[in-house]
Amino acid sequence: MRNKTYNKKKMLVVFLAAAVMILGLLGRLVYLMIFDAEYYQEKAKALHEREREIKAARGEIVDRNGVVLATNRTVCTISVIHSQIKEPERVIEVLSKELGISSGEIRKKAEKISSREKIKTNVDKETGDRIREYDLDGVKIDEDFKRYYPYDSLASKVIGFTGGDNQGIIGLEVKYEKWLKGTNGTILTTTDARGIELEGIAEDRIEPVAGETLQISLDYNIQMYAQQAALKVMEEKEADAVVILVMNPQNGEIYACVNIPEFNLNDPFTLNMEEDTSELDDEVKQERLNQMWRNRCINDTYEPGSVFKVFTASAALEEGVVNLTDQFYCPGYKIVEDRKIRCARTTGHGAETFVQGVQNSCNPVFIEVGLRLGVDNFYKYFEKFGLLEKTGVDLPGEADTIMHKKENVGQVELATMSFGQSFQVTPIQMAATISSLINGGERITPHFGMATYRADGEKTETFDYGEGKRILSQEVSETMQAVLETVVSEGGGKNAYIEGYRIGGKTATSQTLPRSARKYIASFVGFAPADDPEVLAMAVIYNPQGVYYGGTIAAPVVRDIFDNVLPYLGIEKQS
Amino acid sequence: MAEKEKKKRMDYTLLVIVFLLVAVGLVILYSTSAYNGDVKFHDSFYYLKKQVFATILGLVMMFWVAGIDYHVWQQFAAVCYLAAVGLSIAVMLFGKEYNGSKRWLSLGPFSFQPSEFAKVALIIFLSWIVTKHAKTIAKTGTMFRIVLWMLPIVGLVGTSNMSTAIIILGIGVVLVFVASPRYAQFVGMGVLGCAFMGIFLALESYRLERLAIWRNPENYEKGYQTLQGLYAIGSGGLFGTGLGNSVQKLGFVPEAQNDMIFSIICEELGLVGAAFIVFLFLILIWRFFLIATHSRDLFGALIASGAMAHMMIQVILNIAVVTNTIPNTGITLPFISYGGTSVVFLLIEMGLVLSVSSLVE
Repeated sequence: MRNKTYNKKKMLVVFLAAAVMILGLLGRLVYLMIFDAEYYQEKAKALHEREREIKAARGEIVDRNGVVLATNRTVCTISVIHSQIKEPERVIEVLSKELGISSGEIRKKAEKISSREKIKTNVDKETGDRIREYDLDGVKIDEDFKRYYPYDSLASKVIGFTGGDNQGIIGLEVKYEKWLKGTNGTILTTTDARGIELEGIAEDRIEPVAGETLQISLDYNIQMYAQQAALKVMEEKEADAVVILVMNPQNGEIYACVNIPEFNLNDPFTLNMEEDTSELDDEVKQERLNQMWRNRCINDTYEPGSVFKVFTASAALEEGVVNLTDQFYCPGYKIVEDRKIRCARTTGHGAETFVQGVQNSCNPVFIEVGLRLGVDNFYKYFEKFGLLEKTGVDLPGEADTIMHKKENVGQVELATMSFGQSFQVTPIQMAATISSLINGGERITPHFGMATYRADGEKTETFDYGEGKRILSQEVSETMQAVLETVVSEGGGKNAYIEGYRIGGKTATSQTLPRSARKYIASFVGFAPADDPEVLAMAVIYNPQGVYYGGTIAAPVVRDIFDNVLPYLGIEKQS
Repeated sequence: MAEKEKKKRMDYTLLVIVFLLVAVGLVILYSTSAYNGDVKFHDSFYYLKKQVFATILGLVMMFWVAGIDYHVWQQFAAVCYLAAVGLSIAVMLFGKEYNGSKRWLSLGPFSFQPSEFAKVALIIFLSWIVTKHAKTIAKTGTMFRIVLWMLPIVGLVGTSNMSTAIIILGIGVVLVFVASPRYAQFVGMGVLGCAFMGIFLALESYRLERLAIWRNPENYEKGYQTLQGLYAIGSGGLFGTGLGNSVQKLGFVPEAQNDMIFSIICEELGLVGAAFIVFLFLILIWRFFLIATHSRDLFGALIASGAMAHMMIQVILNIAVVTNTIPNTGITLPFISYGGTSVVFLLIEMGLVLSVSSLVE
């Protein structure tokens, strides 16, 4: 059979039809790949790219002189990728040697068919660098930041620590989270359909912004010295706890805030007791940890005791219900309604002036003065002096004052409140209130945060705590300075006396509830120079054994601190 | 033309184009399948090795067939037909299922896809039977008889592999069209075919769903493959991301080495590379056309025309599907998509055409 002309014509028809269709499809390709390309490229990119966070370095915390109290350390996470390992035996040997993990455990992970197996986290940078130098295929070393506290337990309950996501958990780390945390960056990586990152494809990076440096009013040297003093007295007196506050009574800057026992900020989840805690169930352990992290200065209240007589005296003088020279008589007790309230000296102080009453810390004198003030005035000054509100200190969890309702207060309650019993305040509240009464009469806000700085050193914010509100006349404040100076020079606070310095102060010994437990809190508040206070120190000793009088055991602690801190602060001895 | 003096010499242009397609195809196949091979078999060369083996086998067969006078096959046409029917029945009974379709026969370590054999067998058989009835081909009765011969194969293949059945049907129509001197009846056939397609689509709702997916692949879960193919094509731009750099082949386009391989060509080699591949196919079809027109007898001309029909239908449908020009149907890209049986029989088919080309006027 011949291949005829009409056959060939038909073949041409078929070929031309094919050619037309193929050219048509080429046109479609041009359309898709040139005009629609951008649309599909964007969609494909969105499909391929995964975001990965780059942690921002957390801002440092430095003391008033720039001593670094909290910083970051580079740590490494070592992991293996099974499919990329070329020399499994060498990988296992090297990792086992460098990380101190049994080779069996590493083998199990290295042989596991998964995208990535973590071998160890928080490996220090030197070890990470050493492993990197082996240049092993399939071993990944990722660097990360970990919070580091160079002085371990120093001011632990003030500074606080951070959690796994580098977020503040307690203390200043929480309060100043906004400034400290910085802004995380991102890496956009390309992945395959299983989400595994591809190597050798350019990454899009958004660089992280480091957190700001926080400068606080704490002074490393004062804090250190106060901590040593607290540790010494705690050991001597076998106390449960010791709290020391050192602050500037003029502006509220806190120089030291010691809470013994402190805990190690670099290991905050280990209990600081010596007992074995491995047996404890999680709930109990968490409860103990919470207790360990508590800042007694701020989170807990106590009965201030005789230190509070500064309040009663100030209020009575301001109100004009007592004069310094008024005469009182102490038989060792005072009967209020049907109750006989004892003086600390059961044999009585006999005849005394108001000033002597303060020096002697004589309860009957203050009961008398309190009753002269009356419930209304007492509450008026309680509120005016700022005791009903929180101090506004820049730490989380400040406790409220625990106080009788005014309508429930009778003569007996008024009498006990006059010498600092039957209500509770925080130590920081007590220190702040006394500061405000002896600084000329202006209420201060106790605080740590002073300013923040960018990584390049430029100041970004100065924290302002406002002008002090006048709560007491200048005149009465100066009178109180003078009266309290005599407490140290002649009265119950003489253990705080330092030759050549004018020191004012007040002692206190209070019994904790229940009274039957016979547990005491001994405390002392001192300030210097008495006529122009630049520094105020308060020591509170919880449950001391043996002698428990504040004047005997707490006053020497403050003297010890002043002995060192006054010259350190450049306060000169007077004649 | 010049071929008159070059009697007994096969068409070297065609041979060069085939070699180019095979070589380029293997490179692209490796690039596309390395990831899937690594993920599934922990061997990035898994698919390439099998394809290279099939290609070598195919090339040997091609040269053997090219060296034989193609008229020999007239005697075996009926055998080819019966073998195709037999194998199609066998695959229905003993076939191995893969991705939900029974398309493979297991022969020890090898598997064999009878529908690929059926295409070549049908080209030989139809060329033979059409040549036999060439004088009366214009009569409707003859045409009807030829269609009747095709039906068992189309039906058998069509149960598991609709796309191949359509290709076989297309080859048949082209052969009858080429052999017949008339045009009008084919217009009627075309109209009839369209009507038949309409009923066929309407009968099964899932086929209508395919139409909906075709128009808006974003809105359907089943449009995933199409959409991923479009992402790959669009990502290529003018010059592509470079050979080996496709991201879409990394599991986004499912089984990228199969039907959707053209989309990865677009992504890696860009419009320029894709157009180059398309032009290779166009030149191939053009060579088939030249060989068909220069064949001394109708049998040779029909073999070349059948190969042309086969190639054009498969290339056009594949690219049309990948570019979402028509609704999705599973058709591989000749020489490039993964498939051992396919490449072996394609090369045998090339051998037949080369044999025809060496006996031109």
